[in-house]
Amino acid sequence: MKSREQEYRELFMAEALEAYDAMSQHMSVLEKRPGDEAALNEVFRLLHNLKANARAMGYNEIGEVAHRMETIFGQIRSKERPFAGSMVPVLFSGIDVLGGMIRTVGANQALTENLPLIENLDRVIAGEEPVLEEDSEVGSEEDATRKLELSDLVYIPIKKLDHLLNLVGELIIDRDRVLTLAQEVGDPTLLSVTAHLSRLADDLQYSVMDARLVGVGTLFNKFPRVVRDVASAEQKQVELTISGQDIQIDRNILQIITDSLLHLVRNAIGHGLETSEERTKAGKPAIGQLTLSAQTDRDNVLIRITDDGRGIDVERVRRKAVERGVLSRDAASRLSEAEVYTLLFEAGFSTAEQVTEISGRGVGLDVVKLAIDSLGGQLGVESKLGAGTTFTLVLPTSIAVKGALLFELEGHPYALPLMHTDSVVSLQSDRLHVVGGTLLAKVLSENIPVVRLADLLSDHDDALLPADRSKLVGAQDIIITSYNGRKLGLIVDRFLRQQDIVIKPVSQPLDMIDLFGGVTLLGSGQVCLVLDVPALTRLFLARRP
Amino acid sequence: MPENQAADKKTFKAEAPVQLIVFRLGGEEYGIRIEQVKEVTLTPEIARMPKTPPFVKGIANLRGDIIAIIDLEERFRLRSTGNGPLTGSTYTMALEAKDYTIGIIVREVPQPLSLPASSIEKTPEFIQDLNVHDKYIEGIARLDNRIIIVLDMLKLLTPEEIMQLKPKATSSAAAERR
Repeated sequence: MKSREQEYRELFMAEALEAYDAMSQHMSVLEKRPGDEAALNEVFRLLHNLKANARAMGYNEIGEVAHRMETIFGQIRSKERPFAGSMVPVLFSGIDVLGGMIRTVGANQALTENLPLIENLDRVIAGEEPVLEEDSEVGSEEDATRKLELSDLVYIPIKKLDHLLNLVGELIIDRDRVLTLAQEVGDPTLLSVTAHLSRLADDLQYSVMDARLVGVGTLFNKFPRVVRDVASAEQKQVELTISGQDIQIDRNILQIITDSLLHLVRNAIGHGLETSEERTKAGKPAIGQLTLSAQTDRDNVLIRITDDGRGIDVERVRRKAVERGVLSRDAASRLSEAEVYTLLFEAGFSTAEQVTEISGRGVGLDVVKLAIDSLGGQLGVESKLGAGTTFTLVLPTSIAVKGALLFELEGHPYALPLMHTDSVVSLQSDRLHVVGGTLLAKVLSENIPVVRLADLLSDHDDALLPADRSKLVGAQDIIITSYNGRKLGLIVDRFLRQQDIVIKPVSQPLDMIDLFGGVTLLGSGQVCLVLDVPALTRLFLARRP
Repeated sequence: MPENQAADKKTFKAEAPVQLIVFRLGGEEYGIRIEQVKEVTLTPEIARMPKTPPFVKGIANLRGDIIAIIDLEERFRLRSTGNGPLTGSTYTMALEAKDYTIGIIVREVPQPLSLPASSIEKTPEFIQDLNVHDKYIEGIARLDNRIIIVLDMLKLLTPEEIMQLKPKATSSAAAERR
């Protein structure tokens, strides 16, 4: 395993080299068209980022050069002076020196300051003439020794990683089956080979999950801006503290909680924190403190949103619950504090007296709760009246998000993993034929057996009755599944949609029913069973009339 | 009997009372020790799970936990003539079994009841003839003129017992009874 520091250095290198390439390109554009604003802005932005990154990594030598060049480009950009004259060779050599320094970092060598360049840059900034000493020669030498380099990092669309993870999931399922079979056979060679296969599959799964991990910071770092905007709209003074940006979590989990986190932060500023006057009156510092923190806890990641605001008024929540008819006055008064907090996660429950633009848009904490539930995570609240509130999100580090096709059968939603879905067709019943008691559909010149899913899922295990076409009226929505090259059409009541789902295992004691790969919670909080196509196919073969 | 009751009253203050959650199944009152009950809530929306016998009502989302919901009236054939199938708003008691939580559906709000441990008598022999097999019954509690059958949920909800959920097992069991 690479150390965190090494990983960061590689990330820095990749970005810096890319920036260097882009700057060189923009510089040659500027050489031809000194007034090109797009190129000027780009160079300015790249230098600024490079400076920030280099300083964050402790490469101050790079930072110093980039900072001075940024200043000069800032002047050019604001039209204080043109990109012309003696400054041009200085800037060019500056870019070259930066490139050289970046390569030095890549080679893991110590950086040295380039004093003549820095002095020249300072002179240009001050509007003085730089001291040019055979600069062109230095440049050409640099050019001659320059190597073409490709970055050590590749960008991968998350979809490809999702696919990889799905495949690994399938592999794990098959591995378990092979392991069981090998134990049944009992052959020692087979057992040792399957044990090896099993370890490989584990390593592969771990590696793929690891490749999907990103720092929580990728999300957290968007919040200073959000907090600033929300605080100014709410006319509150807020200081945001962020910690634990390095904590690693699956990128899709981060994606799913983005809205929740946004909601909780808005909530904390809108409802949690008081205005400066209120705070001063209550004897608190005028500026409200908001903390976003992440930490690991065994296999989980804890994300906390803490404010030092007014806290949750338990009595008010009780009163609200009674007013809304959620509880009787008697029942409400008996609730413990923790139970009162759970009321906040009920749909449509908001204690905010006035709806503000930022935090009261009818979306309540129930939506946050649902999102966390769908990940198999937990959401907790702690609060002290007058002292503040902390929301804690307990999240799994890694999950398998699977694409699935949602459909309805007898009024309930079901999901079928896309992995096993071949195609989806809608056929008029006269396009279906009965052959030997089984319905056959001709789809793309292939004859595919078709069964009504409702019949297949009936409670008894007897052979299916011979298919009766007269039962089918009108267009039939058919999902064609494919497992091990065997296709099977399932007639369902209605297609719903395609959606990425997180599958939770079915809890005991119902986990012995292998027809279901698990359950998922829909955005509506509805429980949706996820069908297991291999088991369905086996069931169909066993019950075929 | 009057003597017995007097004895009960004497011990009432001396020993720690047993706390039960009492609910109605069919015409009878049943009790579960309060520590086995995780919570009581309005029955959430239940998703029917195919390939399970009718008394498994399905699965439901209880605060993020997906739990099985079962109907004991149906399980023990306690549906008396006066009681139709469960309709309208019902309540679900979430019970903590050994490794999982399971929901039991009931018609009325279950009530807490505190009574002396000595008022729970060991199961008499004749109970064995009833549908509720005696091994689930911890004892019979008598309180004034009420009779409360105290169930041992941990025994009732062991995976072995739930194995009877398997369609094949149920159908053969049903065949035996016929």
